[in-house]
Amino acid sequence: MRRLADAALSAARASGASYADVRVVRMRRQNIQTREDHVVQVSESDELGVGVRTIVGGAWGFAATNQVSVDDAARTAQKSAATAKANSKIIAHPVELAPAPAYLDTWQTPRQKDPFRVPLKNKVDFLLEVNREALKVKGVRYCSSGFAAISEWKYFASTDGSYIEQDIVRLWPSYTVTAIDVGKGEFQSRAHGFPPQQGGYELVEQSTLLADAPRVASEAVEKLHAASVSSGKRMLILDPAHLWLTIHESVGHPTELDRALGYEANMAGTSFATVDKLGKLRYGNELMTIWADKISPGLLATCGYDDDGVKTTRWKLVDRGLFVGYQTTREQAAWIHEKASRGCSYADSYQSFPFQRMPNVSLEWNQKKDLTLDDLVAATDDGILILGNGSWSIDHQRYNFQFGGQFFWEVKGGKRTRPLKDVAYQSNTIAFWHSLDLLGGKSGWRAGGSLGDGKGEPAQSNSVSHGCPPCRFRDVNILNVGRRP
Amino acid sequence: MIWKPEEARRVLERSIKLSRGKDVLARLSGGGTRNTRFAVGEITSTGEAESAELSVQVAFGNRHGTASVNQFDDATLRRCVETAEEMAQLSPEDPEFMPVLGPQKYDQPRAAWDAKTAAFSADDRARAVAACLEPARAAKLTAAGFIETGARFQAVATSAGLFGYAAHTSADVSCTFRTSDGTGSGWAHANSNRVGDLDFGRVARIATDKAQRSQQPQKLDPGEYTAVLEPAAVADLVGYLTFTMDARSADEGRSFFAKPGGGTRVGERLLGRFSLSSDPAHALAPAQPFDGDGLPLRKMAWFEDGELKSLLWSRYWAKNKGHAPTGRPANRILRASGPTHTIEDMVKSTERGLLVTRFWYVRFLEPERVSLTGLTRDGTFWIENGQIKRPVKNFRFNQEVVACLAGAEMASQPVRVSTGEGTGPTVVPAIKAKGFHFASISDAV
Repeated sequence: MRRLADAALSAARASGASYADVRVVRMRRQNIQTREDHVVQVSESDELGVGVRTIVGGAWGFAATNQVSVDDAARTAQKSAATAKANSKIIAHPVELAPAPAYLDTWQTPRQKDPFRVPLKNKVDFLLEVNREALKVKGVRYCSSGFAAISEWKYFASTDGSYIEQDIVRLWPSYTVTAIDVGKGEFQSRAHGFPPQQGGYELVEQSTLLADAPRVASEAVEKLHAASVSSGKRMLILDPAHLWLTIHESVGHPTELDRALGYEANMAGTSFATVDKLGKLRYGNELMTIWADKISPGLLATCGYDDDGVKTTRWKLVDRGLFVGYQTTREQAAWIHEKASRGCSYADSYQSFPFQRMPNVSLEWNQKKDLTLDDLVAATDDGILILGNGSWSIDHQRYNFQFGGQFFWEVKGGKRTRPLKDVAYQSNTIAFWHSLDLLGGKSGWRAGGSLGDGKGEPAQSNSVSHGCPPCRFRDVNILNVGRRP
Repeated sequence: MIWKPEEARRVLERSIKLSRGKDVLARLSGGGTRNTRFAVGEITSTGEAESAELSVQVAFGNRHGTASVNQFDDATLRRCVETAEEMAQLSPEDPEFMPVLGPQKYDQPRAAWDAKTAAFSADDRARAVAACLEPARAAKLTAAGFIETGARFQAVATSAGLFGYAAHTSADVSCTFRTSDGTGSGWAHANSNRVGDLDFGRVARIATDKAQRSQQPQKLDPGEYTAVLEPAAVADLVGYLTFTMDARSADEGRSFFAKPGGGTRVGERLLGRFSLSSDPAHALAPAQPFDGDGLPLRKMAWFEDGELKSLLWSRYWAKNKGHAPTGRPANRILRASGPTHTIEDMVKSTERGLLVTRFWYVRFLEPERVSLTGLTRDGTFWIENGQIKRPVKNFRFNQEVVACLAGAEMASQPVRVSTGEGTGPTVVPAIKAKGFHFASISDAV
């Protein structure tokens, strides 16, 4: 592999590149889908290729191929340099990379059982058993379940002298139960909130996915008969299986430096959290401290080195309510006068150009008091508790958002009183984070995440987790989205 | 690199021959995409990627498995087939499995391939970027945008003798220009199978005009307003509508198109005077004439003059219910019967309303009613007494798609647009719709 990488780097240098990196990436995916009593899809894919990034005359170039040989790597490097040269004719600001040490290293996801080596039968039997348990609940008509495993192996080398091999494994078991009232023409679904994460198949074996199936199924039926919510300002209690996505959209994306400076303006948008607000903006109140990291075990964006070859780290984005940090790459660090990258470069395949992607972005738990979800409910006289993710949408500068959920409880007098339906909340990022009034503690801190966070053109997919404790927010605008959209 | 039909056939047939399975379906797709991005007024990144992927589905009886690879040496082909076979043998019986199709006839779209587009180089893209930047620089706007061309092929073959091959080119440009005070933003785009159809300067001039006119937007109270939706906005609504048109979901009672008490809403007039169809040979939006099983995707009327004519039938569900399979829509063509109008006509006829350039972050609110939420973006304007009076702040909308289209008062000639939701070639008109629900204000520019 090193010979191939060196051939690409030499060819890039010979073509005039002042910098080059090469990534050989192998992505393997296994996907199993079932419904009710049978399997509907079993598939496995294996993708291998080489991507070469170059800087010539201060401009980026990139080329990629699925032909993996020394000659093809060199040819691809020359092609990459040619695209850079074409661009260099009309750029005004040459790319400058923040310095990064050279590393010779390997990194891999800690795991006990490689999910690709666990017999297919074990996985299928497990999913079908989940379906059977769910379908036993009266009123449930359908249950779909699935298992996805993704292995990302990559070899990175750069003209700065790094040679890094990484082996990352992510997996996601999931299921959704649907109950139908044919007479009324209504249906409701409830998905389990088990998050995708890094690790081995032991995560599935140790999970409560199967044990939870009767409850999840019962909740699908309860949603059918739930009372429609009254709109208005209410206390809102958000479980971590819901809140992770609100953090993703309202803190994760706005603190991407490329967005803030207009580099994603054409598609993903820009950000209200502009550079002039760094160190000044009160993002939320004192309860809100947000960490970015790519080092927490099990979280989806965790790895040893980013796709610039920068060693990963942990840093604050928001410190007790104050906006203090951005996500950056080697190219971006100097844009805000920082000396080193935060290690947020990522490309989702050998074919993709690496750019700034979100690390794990998590809300710190309450350091003073270990409040649980039940404590938050007990402290609430009139509110709504939301579990799991439903509809989600946020504007292109990350002010106005609107979220639904999987299951909703009315909370009265400190108790969960009855299930509700048709619930969504709409808020604005700054107002929302200032309305945080009860922060849960360490014991309730959980991470949720996504295997498909989109950004860029052409669109790339990133895997990212967000941890948080249960939280309560004051006076949030609750909508009834069933009565009249 | 584009594989020729005979090259694709050779690999597909080799894969099929390597398998011991009775039903083997092999697919091959690949080609190249080339792009250049620009932002803050200059090129930021570029890329040229070649790829090809082989996928082999093997079935033993009703047990099936699929494996895919992107390397084509004999050892990898064998490994791919063996993996698929191993998965098939380990899989339980799938009562919904459909045997592979035999030979089919496809209507090849003539306008899908353009040699000039396939050859569009990094230098060509850099010149196109320069053409996009020129109006923005002249107007002192901050320019961002994306230019991408593609040349790709898809091929499919089965152990029952089916072979299909199609190749297409594509070209896209989009520009988002922002005013230096950060209060105005304008967007425009164009896409086609032929790069020669794209007028880069024109796209940039529209984005420039929108950016300048959208500067310093004022607040307008949320509420229901008449909305003039430009084609890009309409395309998002249509994309989500077709996501919900699966016949099986309707039969199972989990769809807007399920009738309370059982049955489906086929035959009901739901969409006012709109017709929604697909046609792989459509001149503006030529599309691949077969799906992943090799099922021909033919000209289909989904809605005709508002009446729901057909849902989307998979092969399995069609067999189960004695219906002909339709597959997915090859493309989406929405048109209105009766007279067509320009966007200017729509504005002139509007006493009080909003002109919407495009939507952003559209998601289902309640799939059973095809209700969506999303936001306006890059040019939202207040119309009063037949004139565009001023830019207004963006809105979040919460709206049922069917009610919006059913109540539309005017529509333009359909044009080809790209959608943010990846729904493939789409040809839709601008529309004027009453009572569109703008639910809350967004401060985003």
